[in-house]
Amino acid sequence: MSERIVVDPVTRIEGHLRIEAEIEDGRVKDAFSSGTMVRGIETIVNGRDPRDAWAFVGRVCGVCTSTHSLCSVRAVENALGIVVPPSAELVRNLMIATLYMHDHVVHFYHLHALDWVDVVSSLKADPAAAARLAQSLSPWPKSSEGYFAAIQSRIGRFVGSGQLGIFSNGYWGHPAYKLRPEQNLVAVAHYLEALEWQKEVVKIHTVFGGKNPHPNFVVGGMPCSINLHEPNAINSERLAFVKQKLDEAKTFIEQVYIPDLLLIAEAYKEDWSRIGGGISNYLSYGDFPMAEYGDVGNYLMPRGIVLGRDLSRVHPVDAHSPDQIKEYIYHSWYAYQEGDQAGLHPFKGETRLNYTGPKPPYTHLDTGDKYSWIKTPRWKDEPMEVGPLARMIVAYAAGKEPQKSLIDDTLKKLNLPLEALYSTLGRTAARALETLLTADWALDIFDKLMENLRYGDSRMVNHTLWSPKLWPDEARGVGLSEAPRGALAHFVVIKDRQVGNYQMVVPSTWNASPRDAQGVLSAYESALIHTPVHDPEQPLEILRTIHSFDPCLACAVHLYDEEGKYVHQIDTF
Amino acid sequence: MKTLVLGIGNLLLKDEGVGIHAIRALEKETLPPDIDLLDGGTGGLHLLGRLQEYDRIILVDATLDHHPPGAIRHIRPRYATDYPPLMSAHEIGLRDMIEAMILCGHHPEVDLLVVSAGDIGELGVELSPAVEASLPEIIRRIRLLIRN
Repeated sequence: MSERIVVDPVTRIEGHLRIEAEIEDGRVKDAFSSGTMVRGIETIVNGRDPRDAWAFVGRVCGVCTSTHSLCSVRAVENALGIVVPPSAELVRNLMIATLYMHDHVVHFYHLHALDWVDVVSSLKADPAAAARLAQSLSPWPKSSEGYFAAIQSRIGRFVGSGQLGIFSNGYWGHPAYKLRPEQNLVAVAHYLEALEWQKEVVKIHTVFGGKNPHPNFVVGGMPCSINLHEPNAINSERLAFVKQKLDEAKTFIEQVYIPDLLLIAEAYKEDWSRIGGGISNYLSYGDFPMAEYGDVGNYLMPRGIVLGRDLSRVHPVDAHSPDQIKEYIYHSWYAYQEGDQAGLHPFKGETRLNYTGPKPPYTHLDTGDKYSWIKTPRWKDEPMEVGPLARMIVAYAAGKEPQKSLIDDTLKKLNLPLEALYSTLGRTAARALETLLTADWALDIFDKLMENLRYGDSRMVNHTLWSPKLWPDEARGVGLSEAPRGALAHFVVIKDRQVGNYQMVVPSTWNASPRDAQGVLSAYESALIHTPVHDPEQPLEILRTIHSFDPCLACAVHLYDEEGKYVHQIDTF
Repeated sequence: MKTLVLGIGNLLLKDEGVGIHAIRALEKETLPPDIDLLDGGTGGLHLLGRLQEYDRIILVDATLDHHPPGAIRHIRPRYATDYPPLMSAHEIGLRDMIEAMILCGHHPEVDLLVVSAGDIGELGVELSPAVEASLPEIIRRIRLLIRN
C-alpha cells in the first residue's frame, strides 16, 4: 500500500518547488517535481537592442544575476562574431569565480547544512569538547572553548525567542540526524561565520561590475576601466583589495568549508553515498575560458557529456545543432503548434501557456497529465543532470587536472569507491571540492590579469562591431556558461538589428523538469526513487536529496495575500 | 544617522518592480548627504553587508493585498515575523535577510513602505497606471521619513 506525500513548498531553496512522492514500505516509489518557472523572457526583450538584453535578463533572478547577464552578452557576441579582449575575459572569470564561492558557501551553510546538522542538539554540546574537535579538524583560529560557549549561548537565545524562522522550522530531533552535539555546535558556529564571510566576498562584484546586485556587463568586454595609477579607475589599491578578499576566501574555504564537508561526509557516508544517484547522464558546457571564449580547449572546466556513467568517453555537445537540445512539454502546462509530442530547439522555442491542472486549493496534481510549469529539456532525447557533480564527472572522464586528483584524493580520505560520487552526498561533496578549485583558480586568474596589466594590456572592450550598421540582417547566437547550479544557455535571434527571439534554458530546467512522453524521469524525480523516508510527516530525507541539487527556481515570483495565503504565482521565463 | 533608501522588487513584473522605480526616480533628485540609495533587485543574502552599514533603512517593496493598487502603507517591523508577505521573489528573501542581520548582531531600524500592486498578471517593465500615479506620493512619503 503506497501513500502519497506532498512537500510544498520545499523550503530553503531559491524559488518555489513542489514535490509529490509515493511512499511504499518506508521508501520513495515514485516522485513528481512541479516547479513554477514560466518562460517568457522573449516578451520583455523582443524588439529591443540586443546590446541591452543583458540588463533585462539579469533581472530574472537576484542570485545568479551576473551569470545571466554574462550568458546574454556571450550569446550576442557569438551571434555577431565579437571576440572579447584577453584582460576582459579574465575579469569576467573573476566575476564568475566570485559568484561560485559566494553561492556555494551560502548554499552549503544556509540552505543545505541544516539537513545534516541539528541546531537544537548543539545546545547540549560541551564547549571544551567542541573546541578540541574544531582544533583537530582545522587550523582555523576561531576554535577556543570560550568562543564555542559564547556561540552556544547566542544560539540558545535565538532558539528560545522563537522569532527566527531559520531555527524554528527544522525537523530537530529527527532520528536521521547523526552528528554528535559537539559536531553540531562546530557546524552551527560556522553557519554564523559564513554569514559574516559572504558579506565580504561579494564586494569583488562591486569593484568590477560597478554595483551589486545586478553588476554591469557590456557586449564586447567589461564596462570597467583598469589603470594601476589612475585614482578614478580600478587602480592598484582597488586590485589589492580584490586580492585580499580572494586570499580570505581561499582561507575560509580551505579551513572551514572543506573540513565541515568532510565531517558531514564521514558521519553520513554509509547511507548517503548510496542514496540519491538518479539518472546517469551528466552535461557540462564548461566555463572559465583562459584564452578566448570560443577556444573551448582552454577552459578550466571542460565541456562535454558523460552517458550512462561511462567514464571512458566524453561526448561533444553542440548547442547550435537543431538535433541535440530540444525542449518538450508533454507534462508541462504549455501548448506547441506542432502538438504535445513535439520537441523544439530553443531557436524555435514557443511559450504559449496552457494550464490544465486542478483549481487551487488542491490536494494532488494530476501527474498522469501535465503537472509542471517547467519544460523538459533533452539532449538527443536523453535526460541530463547538470551542476557541480556533472562538471566534476565530465572533468574526471576527460582526465582533467586538478579535478581528477582532487576527486581521487577525497574519495581515498573518506575510504569510498568512485561509485560513491553518484549520490546525494557525492553532489554535496562535488560542490565543495569545486569551490576549493574556484578559490585557487581565482588567484591564478588574478595573477594573470596583473601580468597583462603590467605589460600594458588593460583593454576591456572590443568596440569594432559595436555599430549595428556593421551587423548582418539576421544572426543567431548561443551563449553558454556554467552557472553555479549548472549548465546555462541563452539563445538569441537578431533580426533587423533587434532581438527577434530570446530563450533561456536554465540549470533547474534540466534537473527539476517533469518526466518526458516516454515516462523517462529527469534528475530530481529519478534521484528520489528508493530514498528512505522514516516519517512521512517529516520528510527530511527528501529535502536532503533535493537540496543537494541546489534548486534555483527563483526566477519564479510568488504572490501571497495579506494573511500569507498563497494567491498566485508568476514567473519570468 | 546614516540612512539607506532600499528598493526591492523584480523589474520584469510590472508593479512588482515599484521599489526599483522609486529608487530610479530618487536618483534624479537632490537628497541630504547622509542618504544613500540602493536598487536591491530581488533581495537576498548578498545585500546583507551593505544593509548593515546603516543605522536606518527605508525599504520600499510591493505587496498584493486587499487595498487598491497604488495604496501605500507605512510599517515599522521589529522582528522578521512582523513583516507582511511581500512580493520579493525569493524564499531566501527579505525575511531571511532580516533574520540574518539579527543573527549577525546588527539590525538597523527599518521603516517599510509597502505599495499595493495592481497589474502582476503579465511580464513587462512598466508600472500600471494606478501605481505609476502613486510614485510622486511614494517619493513624498520617503522624503518625510528622511526628514523625521
